[in-house]
Amino acid sequence: MKLQKIVESLDLKPLTKVEDNEIEGVFISDMLSDVMSNAKAGDLWITVQTHKNIVSASNLVDIAAIIIVHGKIVSEETIELANRFHVNIFSTPLSTFQLAGKLVALGLNPG
Amino acid sequence: MDKEKCLHHWEMVNVSYGYIITEQCFKCEKVSNYFTQEHTPPLEEYRDGEHFWNVMKSDQSFKFNLKCSECNTVVDYDELLGLMMCTGCDKDCEVDIELKKLEAERIWVYVAFGFLPIGEKKQLSDEKIKILEDYFNQRRRSSNSSIRIISHEKVRKISACYAEVIKDVNMVSLTAPDDNI
Repeated sequence: MKLQKIVESLDLKPLTKVEDNEIEGVFISDMLSDVMSNAKAGDLWITVQTHKNIVSASNLVDIAAIIIVHGKIVSEETIELANRFHVNIFSTPLSTFQLAGKLVALGLNPG
Repeated sequence: MDKEKCLHHWEMVNVSYGYIITEQCFKCEKVSNYFTQEHTPPLEEYRDGEHFWNVMKSDQSFKFNLKCSECNTVVDYDELLGLMMCTGCDKDCEVDIELKKLEAERIWVYVAFGFLPIGEKKQLSDEKIKILEDYFNQRRRSSNSSIRIISHEKVRKISACYAEVIKDVNMVSLTAPDDNI
């Protein structure tokens, strides 16, 4: 499924420049070590974390996009880094559980 | 499969989670770190020969081995403290120079760090770093980007480096959503 379709369906707010990607699956975690060891390339990563190292971990394993839940504020530093390294970041006021439910309803599966 | 001829397809195995403990001797100010799988990170001061070690911080992290699914070769990464993505903060640093050369091709540069003190602990070999780079590139889906991993020895001045090793520290955001402010 294309990222843009998910963005439009769930009304996700882009925080960075967006590059449309094919989404292969969904990965939910708030630990970078978990992402580095278990996430798959092309995954949509759902997290509450906003630290700039989400960009480093995401790039390392080729995450397609990051969605920050609960409407948490992402620092300019993180956004600048994400733009420079072509990492898509979106924001939603939904909780992780609510967002996961909507992604399942769209037909997405775990990565 | 003959290990010499194998093209290797690496997978991460034996993943174990734990803490990277960083400690400092209050007498000589030497800094040391190590990985532990204890359930709670140790906090106690202790004496080891001439040194009096105090815990400075403990960061959640993990360790792993890489195994070739074709020839069953296993490579351990006991010497790897973590990886850091170069963001280009020092134009005279070899890592920054490498990033600037490669960035336009979407090749991202990561630095592999070993444990401190660097001169006293076994550090990652170039061969292991290359295998780690191969592993993360094999794991990527797209061919329009890749990563390069280089040794921390290329960093001109680690203490002044702007980037951070990827580990679970200082990850808790203190920012609240707009409507809570």
